Amino acid sequence: MSPATDQPGQREVVLRVENLSLWFGEVCVLDGVDFEMRAGEVVGLIGPGGVGKTVFCKLCCGLLEPDGGRIEVLGQDLSGASGKERQALRERIGLVFQNYALFDFMTVGDNVAFPMRQRASHLAKDQREAFSEENIAAKVQERLAEVDLPRVRHLMPNELSGGMKKRVGLARANINDPELIFFDDPTAGLDPVTSSKIFNLIRKTQAQRNSSCLVVSHDIDRMRPACDRYILLYQGKVHFSGTAQQAMASKDPVLRDFFGKEAGLIA
Amino acid sequence: MNPLRTIGRTFLETSDTVGGITLVVWQILKALLPPKFDREQTWLNLYKVGVKSYPIVIMTSLFTGAIMVIQSGQYVKATGATGLLGWGAGYAVLAEIGPVLIGLMFSGRVGANNTAELGTMRVTEQIDALRTLAIDPMHYLVVPRFLSMVSMLLLLTALGDLFALIGGALTSQFVLDVNWRVFFQGVVNSSLLDEYLTGLTKGVVFGASISVVSCYYGLGVTGGAAGVGRAVNSCVVTSAIGIFVWDYLITYIVNGL
Repeated sequence: MSPATDQPGQREVVLRVENLSLWFGEVCVLDGVDFEMRAGEVVGLIGPGGVGKTVFCKLCCGLLEPDGGRIEVLGQDLSGASGKERQALRERIGLVFQNYALFDFMTVGDNVAFPMRQRASHLAKDQREAFSEENIAAKVQERLAEVDLPRVRHLMPNELSGGMKKRVGLARANINDPELIFFDDPTAGLDPVTSSKIFNLIRKTQAQRNSSCLVVSHDIDRMRPACDRYILLYQGKVHFSGTAQQAMASKDPVLRDFFGKEAGLIA
Repeated sequence: MNPLRTIGRTFLETSDTVGGITLVVWQILKALLPPKFDREQTWLNLYKVGVKSYPIVIMTSLFTGAIMVIQSGQYVKATGATGLLGWGAGYAVLAEIGPVLIGLMFSGRVGANNTAELGTMRVTEQIDALRTLAIDPMHYLVVPRFLSMVSMLLLLTALGDLFALIGGALTSQFVLDVNWRVFFQGVVNSSLLDEYLTGLTKGVVFGASISVVSCYYGLGVTGGAAGVGRAVNSCVVTSAIGIFVWDYLITYIVNGL
């Protein structure tokens, strides 16, 4: 998706959430969340554990149904979308799962190639040229090289470390050049060096393809170079939306808790 | 515990299961008309479900045929009606014991495995990953398994029938001293074609039943490893009940009662 203009505030809206609510039994997880994200932005979604960040990602991908409100992804209203429309939309978005969600019965190469092969199977024969096995293999190799894993194509997922699995998940989510990618806690359980590498990768791939990214994480220090702005989910609502500088300048105690000593220094 | 509450809860749980299984059947039918399923997964499952089950089916069948012959052996020896040996064993094995035992073995080996596999995919978010990649789990996971189980249980029942008769003939020859040709002549003379076809029909129906039940429990897993264990347990129990209920219904219909 090419942004209409270089001014971030005037770019096309790729994700719009209005008055979103979700209940799990008697527990209100999201209570009227409003949020907007524009093309080419990398937004960090932060908040305490259990506040509903993962659920928010899944709602935006259509994996869960909200109890109220509206979600518009890449101009498509999810609530009114038919099965075919959702399928078409999902070909334009990517999701990197917190627990990798690599297919354990396939090699790493097949995992990364899988979205391309499936996409090819939906196309007419004359449109499949770009999806020949040679082209797929070349693109898989390219994506694995981007995430610094050029020699793991023939391994099974259970032969990889956590950080490697995350990077394979990133390569798989990127293989079809999605316009919007959701990263659900991409550095959970990883060491600080690998976490920094993952965030750098996110920024790098975003810059290369001008995609838009929503990154869920607790690791605010390390995600700072990757994110343009932050959304803080707190008690089911968007408590803050703005840049790191704005957050650090704020005297809000919740924000200060999250942005830690850096916020304290400015305040 | 309040008995009314127990009855009510059991009723609700049963309704939930029956409704869920009906929905899976409906979605499979929708995916089959017109056919929308992954061919590669279907071939893979045909191999996993069929080829890998041959040894256990052959073993089960050989012993089933042998046991049938031993059971009727004392009466045959007492009366000298050796011609009835093939009829007795063939009738019981082809129409009833063969398909039911093979179905039960199949549900224990393949159905339980299927539930565990789908359940693990569910708790590790692999099914969500499929959906995010614009792939319908019904087309990619469920329909290939359904087609594989139905076709392979049909073939395994046919194979099992053959080996049950071989087991019966060997037992007849070496345990009862009744020539194996006499045993097979008894089978042929009894015109057991109807029983044979009834048995194959049961194989198809049991295959459909086991696949639907195992996919239903696998896709519905919640609660991590413990949830997978519970789902496998429920799958084996429900599949076994399903086999006996379908067996009863088919026998009832075929015998025109």
